Amino acid sequence: MRAGIGFLGAAALILAMIAGPASARAASLEFPIKAAFLSKFAPFVEWPPTAYPSSDSALSLCIVGADPFGVAIDQAVQGQHLGAHPLIVRRLDRIDANSGCSIAYIGGSKLQSVEDGLAAVQGTPVLTVTDQAMSSVRGAIHFVVRDNRVRFMIDDEAAAKNGMNISSKLMRLALSVHLRSGGRL
Amino acid sequence: MARRPIWRSWRVIPVLAIGAALTLLLAGVLAGLYGEKLYQAQKLREASVEAQILGSTASAAVVFQDGPAAQEYVNALQANPEIEAVGLYDEHGALIAGYHRGGAPLPGHINGPAAPLFEGAHLVVTEPMRQAGSVMGTVRIQSQLEPVSRRFTRYGGAALLIGMAALLLGVLGAAQAALTRANRELRHRARALAATNSELQVQIEEREKAEEALRQSQKMEAIGQLTGGVAHDFNNLLMVASSGLDLMDRTDDPKRRQMLKDSIRQAVDRGSALTRQLLAFSRRTALKPEVVDLASQVEGMRVLLDRSLREDIVVQLRFARDLWPVEIDPHQLELAILNIAVNARDAMPNGGRIEISAENEAGFSDGALSGDFVKLSVSDTGQGMAPEMVSRVFEPFFTTKARGQGTGLGLSQVYGFSRASGGDVRIESSEGKGATITLLLPRSDKPLTVRESQTAREEPAHGHGKVLLVEDDDGVASVVGEMLRDLGYEPTRAENADRALRLLDRKRRFDLVFSDMVMPGELDGIGLAREINRLRPELPVVLTTGFSEAAAAARQDGYRLLVKPYRIEQLAAELQAARNDPHAAG
Repeated sequence: MRAGIGFLGAAALILAMIAGPASARAASLEFPIKAAFLSKFAPFVEWPPTAYPSSDSALSLCIVGADPFGVAIDQAVQGQHLGAHPLIVRRLDRIDANSGCSIAYIGGSKLQSVEDGLAAVQGTPVLTVTDQAMSSVRGAIHFVVRDNRVRFMIDDEAAAKNGMNISSKLMRLALSVHLRSGGRL
Repeated sequence: MARRPIWRSWRVIPVLAIGAALTLLLAGVLAGLYGEKLYQAQKLREASVEAQILGSTASAAVVFQDGPAAQEYVNALQANPEIEAVGLYDEHGALIAGYHRGGAPLPGHINGPAAPLFEGAHLVVTEPMRQAGSVMGTVRIQSQLEPVSRRFTRYGGAALLIGMAALLLGVLGAAQAALTRANRELRHRARALAATNSELQVQIEEREKAEEALRQSQKMEAIGQLTGGVAHDFNNLLMVASSGLDLMDRTDDPKRRQMLKDSIRQAVDRGSALTRQLLAFSRRTALKPEVVDLASQVEGMRVLLDRSLREDIVVQLRFARDLWPVEIDPHQLELAILNIAVNARDAMPNGGRIEISAENEAGFSDGALSGDFVKLSVSDTGQGMAPEMVSRVFEPFFTTKARGQGTGLGLSQVYGFSRASGGDVRIESSEGKGATITLLLPRSDKPLTVRESQTAREEPAHGHGKVLLVEDDDGVASVVGEMLRDLGYEPTRAENADRALRLLDRKRRFDLVFSDMVMPGELDGIGLAREINRLRPELPVVLTTGFSEAAAAARQDGYRLLVKPYRIEQLAAELQAARNDPHAAG
């Protein structure tokens, strides 16, 4: 895992430095970086206390539908914990309220569109992550690539609908934030 | 008793002060070390807190490799001038963002959090970056410490102050000790001075006694010199009287008898004058000054001078007419003249001449002395004196005479007398040309003091009446009884005061009591007079004595007094006066 993250760090660095003409090469680093980001969101998110059946139950990072990460996501998540909860990767074709996912990367597929996936977990404590590279439909966090860098947008209202709080620290890094009604940054 | 603690304290004070100073210094060093430790701990805490705050706020930027966002957080710390360098590292120790105030490069990679490091003027703190219990990276802060030299300068300032305080303490202590010592020394000196002073006082008293004794012995010496001449003279007088009486028995020629009587009378008068002078001279008590005529005063000393000097010395008196009166003590004057004359006599071993002269000196002025004076000079034709002696002759105890021949007080008495009389004394002398001593005595405006009248030779006044004669000496009683009868009185003799009182008690009528003063028995003349005054206040009393002391007492009490030896004329006048005015003293 150390090697993976080391690779990710180096890749992110390179990605940040290289210019537009090298986009083909940049694309090769895009998903490993997104995988690393996915594995790091948990500490900056608060789930409602009812989200975990027990104190040491695993925190599931579900890849729903298309999987653009491959092994990179497994490497990134390996050994990650949030408190006493170990982080694990699960790959699902479709998601619903009972899938037991804490974080769901919804890439969409023929079996379930991104919009359907989002609708399926609305109101349940799931941090929904969507990707501009997959669909323009947005979850609570939405990956974009801007200036050859992987960035994200945050829809705090979407998170609020699922009973979640996203740390303001994370929000400050976001390209844009859609605040929940009455909320402020 | 209190000395020992004082003695101890002036030694202990500087030691205490030095001890206090050392304690202060030690306390200062300890305070400095403690302060240094506190300072380091505080700096460490400050840097750690800064790192933790930065780590907490910048954790997301580090985690998501957002360099610009991380750099913004880091740059915010540039406002703190004490922070030299800041670095944010991800969980693998790679630098995400940072800055160095001096522009030096930051370490590109670190091995996670480490113990804080004090490095000279720098403190390096690394703190883990946590988010929700997970370590997300590391914050490294390099903080600037106050340079050691400056801190030591600060401590040095404090040390200097403490040192100065210690020094001050020491100096104060030493000064206090010195002061205490000086005080002690001063007390010793004062005590020694007091002792010396009292010793001096004793010496002065002894010296005064010695001087008084010497003065008296000087007078006695003068009397001693008189005695030989006086005894010789008395023998001559007695010879004249005795042979005169013998010759009177052998002749019936009235003329020849009258001549013999006159010579006997003359001899007796001279003897009487001589004893009077001796009594006055030997009187110890200082008499009051009187306003006198110098000419008659010195004239009255002729007999005394003749007896005090040798036969080969001629005394000449030369006084100006109308001399001003002077206010002096006549007896002191006589003594002064006698002293000068005796000195002159001794300066003329082969005989010579002493000239005593006096003249008025109007408007005299010399130094503090000014006004009208009478100048009384005594010159001799002796061997004179060298100038260096002239300046010293008035000093007490200065004498040119051989041991035992003079006291050296003679001329000092002259000096003392002239000064006490408001005048001065001068001496002129040169070797081989004699000496002149001049007394300057201030002129007096007061009338001459009336002296006891020297009764002129005249026929005695006859009286009458019964006289109680009180006299213990049979011889005197017999002669005086004869004189009283001759004057017309009826005398009754009593041998003493008791007998006289008994005679008065018997209601015998007396017109007058004439009593000797010095008598055996319980009452003397004065006592008797007082008793009579009490019992018979109208009865006049006349006292008589040859003793100068008794005479002074009688005069003081206001009794009529007849000084022995007296002549029949004086007796007649005194008794007459007493009968006419019983209560007025003569």
